Amino acid sequence: MGILGLAKLIADVAPSAVKENEIKNYFGRKVAVDASMSLYQFLVAVRQEGNMLTNADGEVTSHLMGFFYRTIRMVDNGIKPMYVFDGKPPTMKGGELAKRQERREEAQKALEKAEEAGNVEDIDKFSRRLVKVTKTHSEEAKTLLRLMGIPYIEAPCEAEAQCAALAKAGKVYAVATEDMDALTFQTPVLLRHMTFSEARKMPIKEFHLSKVLEELNINHEEFIDLCILLGCDYCDSIRGIGPKRAIELISKHRNIEEILKHLDKKKYSVPEDWAYTEARRLFMEPEVADPADIDLKWTDPDEEGLVKYMCEEKGFNEDRIRSGSKKLVKARSGSTQGRLDTFFKVLPQPSSGVNKRKSNEKPESAKKSKSGRGSSKRGR
Amino acid sequence: MFEARLVQGSLLKKVLDAIKELLNEASWDCADSGIQLQAMDNSHVSLVSVNLRAEGFDKYRCDRNLIMGMDLTSMSKILKCAANDDIITMKAQDNADTVTFIFESPSQEKVSDYEMKLMNLDQDHLGIPETDYACVIKLPSGEFARICRDLSNFGESIVIACSKEGVKFSAAGDIGTGNIKLAQTSSVDKEEEAVIIEMQEPVTLTFACRYLNMFTKATPLSPQVSLSMSPDVPLVVEYSIGDIGQIQYFLAPKIDDQDT
Repeated sequence: MGILGLAKLIADVAPSAVKENEIKNYFGRKVAVDASMSLYQFLVAVRQEGNMLTNADGEVTSHLMGFFYRTIRMVDNGIKPMYVFDGKPPTMKGGELAKRQERREEAQKALEKAEEAGNVEDIDKFSRRLVKVTKTHSEEAKTLLRLMGIPYIEAPCEAEAQCAALAKAGKVYAVATEDMDALTFQTPVLLRHMTFSEARKMPIKEFHLSKVLEELNINHEEFIDLCILLGCDYCDSIRGIGPKRAIELISKHRNIEEILKHLDKKKYSVPEDWAYTEARRLFMEPEVADPADIDLKWTDPDEEGLVKYMCEEKGFNEDRIRSGSKKLVKARSGSTQGRLDTFFKVLPQPSSGVNKRKSNEKPESAKKSKSGRGSSKRGR
Repeated sequence: MFEARLVQGSLLKKVLDAIKELLNEASWDCADSGIQLQAMDNSHVSLVSVNLRAEGFDKYRCDRNLIMGMDLTSMSKILKCAANDDIITMKAQDNADTVTFIFESPSQEKVSDYEMKLMNLDQDHLGIPETDYACVIKLPSGEFARICRDLSNFGESIVIACSKEGVKFSAAGDIGTGNIKLAQTSSVDKEEEAVIIEMQEPVTLTFACRYLNMFTKATPLSPQVSLSMSPDVPLVVEYSIGDIGQIQYFLAPKIDDQDT
C-alpha cells in the first residue's frame, strides 16, 4: 500500500513539512477520508479477543462500529468529515493485486498450520492478514453514513486520487488517510492517524506537500518519479535503490529517463519492460470525478433510522446509538469558531532566526558559533 | 549583545503568567526599540501580542536585532525562581543559543542567574491592519475576569453586545441563561474603576469562553482592560503592562455555519 518508506524519508529530509497537532485543533475543517482504507483498518483493528465483532447472526460489524464511533469522534471535535470509496482498481494495479492475493494465500496456509498447532498468537496474527474488504462491507458503511447525515462519494477509480482532487480544488481542507500516495496525487495537506481510536492518544500528523517539495528542492513531477523509485502500487522499482539513493538520483538527474541513462546497469537491475511512464501518467492524470460537480452536504442524522439499522439489524446497543446520534445533532447546532488566519494575512517569513544571524555575522564568530550550536537549537 | 534590566521584575513574571497558558513556545523579537512577541495558539483562534518598550526598562541595550525562541513553560519555571521584589535582567550574546536571567534581591545580597537554551521556532507572523473599531469598551479588569468566569458556567460561548445603553454579556446552555449588563459610569472619580464606552455603531459578537478566560490571566498586570470590537472581525482585549508596554489578545469570533 502506498509509497514505500515515503513517510520516513520526509521526516528525515524535510522535517519542516511534518507537523503534529491535536485532533481538537481541526475544528471547522472539512476533511476527505479515504473510506476504503478506513474499512480495512477497522476490520483489522476493531476486535474483541482477536475476533471480529459480529451480531447474533454472525454478520461482521467491526467496520460499522469503526465508522460510527470514529466519525462521531471527528464530528465531536468540530471536523466535517466526508468519505470517498474506491471504484474499480486501475489496470496498472493488477501486479500489486496479484501479489496481495499471493500473500493472502500464504497467510491462509500459515493460519491453518497455526490452528493445527493451536498457537493463539499466530492464529490472531494470520487471521488479521486474511481480512478482505467486500462489497457488502462498503455498502453497509454507506447505509450507515447516509443515516448519520455524513456525505460520501464513490470515486471512479482510486479513492486517494479522488480525495487529492477534492483537496486540491479546495472542496476540503485536507485528506485523511494512512496511505502516503495521496501526496503523490498532489494532496496539499495529508493527515495521518485521523481515524485512530481515542484510546491510542495518537497525535495527528500533518504532511504539507508544498513544504516537502520546497525542502527537497524538486517540483511535483520529480516528486512523482521519486515515489516511483521508492516503490508504488503500479509498477516495480529498481532493486537496490533505497530511499537515500533515490533522493540523490532525483536531485542529480531530475527524472527517471536521465537516471536510467546514467545508471550502472550491472550494479542495479532495472525491471524488464518497466512501466514507469504509465505509472507516472496515472499519478499525473488519475481518473477522478470533477470536484466542481461534487456537492457536499452535511445533514441531521436520522436517529430512528439509525436505531432501526444499527440495533435491530446489527445488534448494537440502543442507548449508545441514540447518544451517538445526539452528539451528531449537537455538533451541528451553534456556530463554528473562526480562525485568525482568515482575518489577518500571514506575513512572508523573513528567514528564520539562525539564517538571519548567519548572514550578518563575522566569519570568525561564525566558526565559533557553529561548534557551539548543539542539538538544543533545533527545538522541533 | 543584548541586555535588559527591569527593577520591577514582578511585571515580567506577570507577563509570563498571562501568556503561558495560551502559548507553549514563542519568539521574543529584540530590537533597539524594545522587545516584542507575537504568536498564535496552536489552533490559530487567538493571537497574543506583547510589546515592551526600551524606555520602560531601567537599562536596555540591543546592539543587533535578535530573535529568541523560548519554551514558555521553561521560561515560566525560571521566572518562578525570582522573588516578587527582585530586579530581573535578561542577557544574551549576539549569536547566542542561550539566554541568561539574573535575579538580584533589592538589598543586592542575593544574586542568582539561570541560563536557558533557546529554540529555533518556525512560526507564522501575522500582519495586523490598523483598525478603527466600532466599539471600544473600557472596564475594570477584575470585573471583566469575574464576568467571564461567571458566564462560563452557563455555556461555551459568551455573546458581547454593545449598544448605546451599555454593554451586555450573555451566555446560554443546558442549565439556563445568564446576562450581565454594564451601564456607562456617570460620574468618573477614578478612571480605572469606570466603565467607559466609545461607540460608533452597535456591535454583537460571539466568543469562546475558554479563550476569554485565558486572556483574563493578565488581570494582575493592570486595573483596567479595554475591549475593541467591530462587526465580523476579531475582538481585541488589551491590558497595559505597568508603564512599559501592553499586551493585546486577538480572538476570532464564532461565525454562523454556511453549509448546514
